Amino acid sequence: MSASPTMNASVAKSLLSVKNVTMKFGGLVANDDISFEVAEGSIHAVIGPNGAGKTTLFNVISGFFPPTSGAVEFDSQPITGLPQHAIAQAGLVRTYQLVQLFKDLTVAENVRVGFHRVTKGGIAAALFRPGWAKAQEADLTRRTAELLNFVGLTAQAEMKAEVLPYGQQRLLEVARALAAEPKLLLLDEPAAGLNVQETDQLAATIEKLSARGVTVLLVEHDMSLVMRVARRISVIDFGRKIAEGTPAEIKTNPDVLAAYLGGTETDA
Amino acid sequence: MITLTQLIQSLVTGVGVGLIYGLVGIGFCVIYNASGIVNFAQGVFVMLGGMICHAILSKFGMPMLLAALLSIPIVAISGILIEVLVVRPMWNRGAALFAIILATLATQIMIERITILTLGDQPRSFPEFTLGGPLKIGDIAIGYQYFWIMGCGALMVGLLWLFFTRTTMGRALRACSQNRESAALLGIPVSRMLMVSFALSAALGAVAGILVTPTQFTAYNVGTPFGVNGFIAAIIGGFGNAAGALAGGILLGILQALAIVIFGAGFKNVAALTVLLLVLFIFPSGIFAGLKGKSH
Amino acid sequence: MTSPSITSTRSLLRTLAPVAVVLTVMGIALMSSGYVVTVIGFAAIYGIFCTGLNFFMGYTGQASFGQNAFACLGGYGSAILCGGLYWDPLPAFFVSMAFSGIVAAIIGYPTLKLRGHYLAMATFALGLITYEISIEWVSLTQGYMGYSGIPPLGVGKFELVSEKHQLIALTVILLVGIWISTRLRDSRFGRALRAIAGSEPAAQALGVNVARYKLLAFVIAALYASAAGSLFAHFIGFISPEVFGGAMVVQSFTMLYLGGIGTTWGPAIGALIVSMLPEFLRGLKEMQDIAYAIILVSILIFAPRGVFALIGGWFRPKAKEGDAP
Repeated sequence: MSASPTMNASVAKSLLSVKNVTMKFGGLVANDDISFEVAEGSIHAVIGPNGAGKTTLFNVISGFFPPTSGAVEFDSQPITGLPQHAIAQAGLVRTYQLVQLFKDLTVAENVRVGFHRVTKGGIAAALFRPGWAKAQEADLTRRTAELLNFVGLTAQAEMKAEVLPYGQQRLLEVARALAAEPKLLLLDEPAAGLNVQETDQLAATIEKLSARGVTVLLVEHDMSLVMRVARRISVIDFGRKIAEGTPAEIKTNPDVLAAYLGGTETDA
Repeated sequence: MITLTQLIQSLVTGVGVGLIYGLVGIGFCVIYNASGIVNFAQGVFVMLGGMICHAILSKFGMPMLLAALLSIPIVAISGILIEVLVVRPMWNRGAALFAIILATLATQIMIERITILTLGDQPRSFPEFTLGGPLKIGDIAIGYQYFWIMGCGALMVGLLWLFFTRTTMGRALRACSQNRESAALLGIPVSRMLMVSFALSAALGAVAGILVTPTQFTAYNVGTPFGVNGFIAAIIGGFGNAAGALAGGILLGILQALAIVIFGAGFKNVAALTVLLLVLFIFPSGIFAGLKGKSH
Repeated sequence: MTSPSITSTRSLLRTLAPVAVVLTVMGIALMSSGYVVTVIGFAAIYGIFCTGLNFFMGYTGQASFGQNAFACLGGYGSAILCGGLYWDPLPAFFVSMAFSGIVAAIIGYPTLKLRGHYLAMATFALGLITYEISIEWVSLTQGYMGYSGIPPLGVGKFELVSEKHQLIALTVILLVGIWISTRLRDSRFGRALRAIAGSEPAAQALGVNVARYKLLAFVIAALYASAAGSLFAHFIGFISPEVFGGAMVVQSFTMLYLGGIGTTWGPAIGALIVSMLPEFLRGLKEMQDIAYAIILVSILIFAPRGVFALIGGWFRPKAKEGDAP
């Protein structure tokens, strides 16, 4: 598959490098010597059968736990072993497989929390509200409205997040992550639990994201979504990377077909 | 400097008090294993055991053994009441963990106040089960009550062991502690097991309270120190492990007895609480973290 | 586009209504006898304590069963500095607060790493330790019998001798406390706290340093608690270990849950209601703590998010059934 590198990958600089990451839990090897690069501006997907180690890999990248061995570099800086919030501060923002909204906050407030990384101000600013803090809050109101408009949740802005239907909760999570202005957005199975229309809307949103210059890395089961949006795909099976390439290459890769044998999703 | 006599003396009293802590600690474990709940009102059973036994003794002039045997079921019923009135309604509604803890804490205060209203707020004690003593071996003096504590403590542990291994109900409780869902699938009435566990652990507390009262005193507010020390015993022993709680209790009892010799009696609770915090800080996820997965 | 102005009017009303309630109650108290003044004074002090507790338990969604420890530090700090060393109340007040804050930071750092039952027991132990020390360190605290001879609040030569003057001071301090709470809630800082209550992993993934914010909330709660303890010492002129004992924990939780956990005014309103409760249970003085406990347990069972949240919930829009995936 390396015979035909896409123009995209050879030109753009690498934003995320996963280098020989191995993750063991006791005797179980969840990730075995996995390496890949995510090019800046790309939409990169990691796929694989259930239990292949995708979510573990995601957790290693986002700092949920450090790898047993190997390294992760983000934006040319090593981030292996940094605490999660520090990695997020560096611009690598993730979502979770199970939606993790701030349920008691309104939809708009959820998005405002998202701006945490790109805003400033602590207790003193909150108490005395100097001019810049007021300007910042006003700016956040405007940008929140814009983001809610972007994902189509303007009408729901003042509702509590927990009353949203599931598909909209997913979209809110994306909007909130976008508020953090990530350089790289990690989406962990964003289509899980969505119906066809909602998945469609999500795909459109991801494509719009990319157009805004956000690099996306997603782990996904839903092949229709992956084949539609991904520019590059890494395939993991039994903790090892077995293939990488463009969607067209992956579709015809014999190893991938073997791994998915019996699966009917690949031709979607 | 501690003399050898003091050392041996504190070892003996430490083992005695430690057994009491161990019984309370086992009480924590029994409820925790059946439900994943830590009952912060555990110490109240120790207090009730002593207070009710004293009330029966002084009001009706019954023989010691009868008074003790009467107070234990009364305390067990109080345990069942807590379970039915406070814990189960929250349990059924899927209340947050800390809300249940708070409710048991409030229950403890409630029971303490009711005790003041009905039995008074003065410290009380009753005579040792066997009068006379202490037994003197050289310079070492051992009160007869300590033999009762050790004997009855050992008896309780034996009975518990028989209960958990030989009876259907005991086996069902153990099944719940291993996996509540599968226990329910096997037809074990899990919610009734919760009630049994409260009754059992209340009875254990009552025994501890009756045994320990002659060596010191009891009052409406002795529950908290016993509860905390029992909790520490349970933590040292790996929460949920009954044998470990017993060993933990004895270890804690000895440590405290030594601390009293070295620092004086006043700060023994401070010392115990500091030990608690240190143990928690050094093993932030619990000493035997593997047990935690069970609770969800 | 008219909706923002409508919501802002409504939120203005929502802010002003509780202010009016508090000021009315204080006003009535000022026109009443000394006994009512004492009761409302207690309410104001507890209101301050609960407003602080609300930072940690309401906004941040954590649990501490030992916040009475810091009220104890504040109370004895002011008692010893003013009653024993003849300091002015004001510097004693702030020095006690600073001390409590530092202790909270040092103790909180390892404590807040704990979870579940361990966190609950560790915080509970904090309250017990200060309680034991306040009993046993007799040379410093005068032990069981309590510390008396604490001067009333005042600045320099000017002492607030009359209880009514003290009540005015307490009300002002309570209002300032609530104002701070309101300001912090609606800010980047407050949003981070409330995000932690919602989902720690998500907050972390958005760059919120969860451990740091939890500790800050804990320290803020300790500062409020210390202030409440100091004010209690000055208001009554006497403190004993029992004042800051376990019953305080249950009582303050009752207030917090009754008034509405996580709201800005709830803690103070809850403190007012619960403090006035014994007046309705006149003749049943000893039953007071039992009543608190029963109320608290009932709330925990039937309205775990607070009574006002329950009432508010009846009016809140529910998700439309057809929208579910």
